[in-house]
Amino acid sequence: MTKLLKKSLNTEPEFKEETNAEEIEIKKQEISTHIEKNLETFKSLFTIPDNADVKLREFTIQQLNRKAFIIYISTMADLKAIMDGIEGPLIDSEHPSTKIQDIVSYPLEKTATKIGDITEFITAGVTALFVDGDSNCYLFETTKIRGRSIEKSDNEVIVKGGKESFNEKVIDNIALIRKKIKNENLLVEAQTISKRSRNSVFLVYQKDLVNDDLLKNVKERLNSFDIDSTLDLSILEQMLEERPRSLFPTIVYTERPDRAASFIEEGHIILLMENSPSCLILPATFWAMFHSPEDHYLRAPYGNFIRILRFFALFVAVFTSPIYLAITNFHVGMIPPDLLMAIAGTRERVPFPSIVEVLMMEIAFELIREAGLRVPSPIGPTIGIVGALILGQAAVQANIISPIVIIVIALSGLSSFIIIDISMNFAIRITRFLFIFSAGFIGIYGITALFIGGLFYLVSLKSFGTPYFAPMTPHSFSSKDLLIRHIPMKERFRPGYLKPKDMVKQRKG
Amino acid sequence: MKQQSGKLGIREFVSIAVLMVGSKATEDTPAILYSQAQNASWMIPFISAGIFFIPLYLLIKTMSVYDEKDLFSVIKIILGKYIGFLVCLIIFIMSSYAVSFDTRTYTNIIRAFYFTTTPTLIVYALLILICAYGAKKGLQHIGSVSYLIVFYGVLSLYIALLLGTQNANINSMFPIWGPGPLALVKEGSQKLTLFADFFLLTMLVPYLTSKKAFKRGTWLAYFYVTFQISIAILTYVCMFDEGLAGIAYPFHTVIRFISLGQYIPNVEIIFFIIWIMAAFIRFTAFLYINAMMFGHLFKIKDFEYLIPSLATLYLMIGMIPEAPINVSLVFKPLIVSTAGPFFAVISFVLWLVALLKGEFKHAKNKDII
Repeated sequence: MTKLLKKSLNTEPEFKEETNAEEIEIKKQEISTHIEKNLETFKSLFTIPDNADVKLREFTIQQLNRKAFIIYISTMADLKAIMDGIEGPLIDSEHPSTKIQDIVSYPLEKTATKIGDITEFITAGVTALFVDGDSNCYLFETTKIRGRSIEKSDNEVIVKGGKESFNEKVIDNIALIRKKIKNENLLVEAQTISKRSRNSVFLVYQKDLVNDDLLKNVKERLNSFDIDSTLDLSILEQMLEERPRSLFPTIVYTERPDRAASFIEEGHIILLMENSPSCLILPATFWAMFHSPEDHYLRAPYGNFIRILRFFALFVAVFTSPIYLAITNFHVGMIPPDLLMAIAGTRERVPFPSIVEVLMMEIAFELIREAGLRVPSPIGPTIGIVGALILGQAAVQANIISPIVIIVIALSGLSSFIIIDISMNFAIRITRFLFIFSAGFIGIYGITALFIGGLFYLVSLKSFGTPYFAPMTPHSFSSKDLLIRHIPMKERFRPGYLKPKDMVKQRKG
Repeated sequence: MKQQSGKLGIREFVSIAVLMVGSKATEDTPAILYSQAQNASWMIPFISAGIFFIPLYLLIKTMSVYDEKDLFSVIKIILGKYIGFLVCLIIFIMSSYAVSFDTRTYTNIIRAFYFTTTPTLIVYALLILICAYGAKKGLQHIGSVSYLIVFYGVLSLYIALLLGTQNANINSMFPIWGPGPLALVKEGSQKLTLFADFFLLTMLVPYLTSKKAFKRGTWLAYFYVTFQISIAILTYVCMFDEGLAGIAYPFHTVIRFISLGQYIPNVEIIFFIIWIMAAFIRFTAFLYINAMMFGHLFKIKDFEYLIPSLATLYLMIGMIPEAPINVSLVFKPLIVSTAGPFFAVISFVLWLVALLKGEFKHAKNKDII
């Protein structure tokens, strides 16, 4: 009933759209053998000469004595290569020969006949050569895209281990992964997901490891979108997730190729996209977000130390301010008398209830944090620290906030930085507010109730069929790389929840 | 590596069982036991477990004849459609009654010790709300959450008991037989309800990964829980001695009593957190099993949708007693004295009927063929 009502209220709006059926029809056709016809078609398709960077050049091929033209997008193609390798030889070559392949020195990519395919190639930076009387169009891979070179990872900083990070060029990104996994079973599969911009996604995985059902599932999901354009991997991430409204992320988003490679080796699937300086790892569990690559680079005791520290930080980040609230408001008896006196003394002249105090300071901290990100970089750090210090100090002196709240907020705020995954970081920061409200409502009981409710929610999350806390619970075979990790020699198995084709990654030897 | 989806592994099953039954040591059960068996009340769990072992063993044996069938299906197969239905209905009503007043007991504890000024309804409704939410998520998730917290639950219980021994006097154990061996056996046989939950847990058989996991899990949890309850009661006896007679909820008195050194005198909140977590899990599992029974009785396939309404019903029933004392002295004894023996009798009857019908022989023949 309600569904029916909703349906009748939420109708798809109808727009008066101009049809481009004519153009679609043209794209389905084959090219003509008459060069004039082709010239006309492509001029109209690419709106030449209004389209400034689409270059079309007509000339005559000397040896064949035939008319020809090339078409390319100058901003996407390597101009020098076109001049030296294609145009030059065609216009003034001495060699008597009849085949195009023999005339041009540039390595021939392929030939095509369908207008739609050819336009697709041209938009990707390929140069197309049309010759009068020839039913084929010759395509040359002249793509040269400008972009940033491989730089240091900015957002996932580690001390020990590789420093490279992905950049916006997908070719570089694939190369970064390939150089870490030198195996012919490493597959890079391209799949176009949007219709208008023709953005393609690259699935990277080990053919002899990845579970076929999982692969099929991912491919079907990618195929299911009917969308004009997907500009970035982070948008794709949201589209792929089962619960896009959920607070907690179910896909790992990382800019580190070493991390991606290690996940591929375990049987995960990596998604890469042109223009996105990162990759998506799926399926992902809570542990994947919680771990950092450095845990494994450091020696086992140190790695475990920072893991335990991070786990502690997770709890500090979420629970310090709620517990402060709960204890000062509901369970005063818990605090040792001396400390209680101290807290009461500092709160004496503060006119607000402690929940208002905590909320004000939390929001202020979030503001400083967000502002610190946006401030131009030379003055950023100074503003951040000075702002926080001055704000805190002044707030205390103005009797708006008690000093202990500053300690509490600073501690929980700093701890939240330790969670390296950006989505998880947000999740933690937002849940903190939920816990603050529940603590303000009914103290420790509220916190615990929300915690258990949250746990029920978290265990029910799934990422492409993988439970969020796998392989801890539901239990499956793995090398037990969860809260603490073992020495590398003991990590002999791939995680069982992925059902990889090869479970054992290290034999006893 | 094949992994069955939606099934409960042995770890999760044992965690649920330990949290469900083990938390009996932390409510008013020890006080009820003490009122009858005095300083030998720590032996009651052992005696009851010994007695209940027979019917439980017979029940599991009977059920193992039927593959992948839960308790209610087995009852219906063995006792026929009508008698079976009646028996199942009685079991459901009893366990509903138990849930209602157990949740009320926990609410009473929370109100008496931690939130003295909060209205009962709010404390109670929050408890039921979370349980209903958890139960609606399904059995596998209940199992996962209980596995995540069972270690902390058990660990904190032992830490509390260990800290309690600082003020304990081992001499309170004596005379070792308390009111006398005979009286103990008599009490023990009446307190079978301690382990009645294991009877209800057989409802979960089809949801476990294997029959073997169920069997092993049940016995593991059974023996462990016996030990845990007994140790807890022994600690209470040694701490409070005669005074235990006047204490309604000994665990909570213990955690108020203990301190972490000189500087932190009141640590009850830390233990309260973990205790209440265990309580949430306990009633979530309970609620789920009850909904499952209800669904089974009235042939409702998607019984998960029943959970919110059942939870509300239990909340309303649980609100009936006006004072906490009524719950412990009027409403609960009714179920405490009947459920265990009744379940034991059912298990026995099931086994007997199955034996007379020759089901065990059939099963054996099937195996041979």
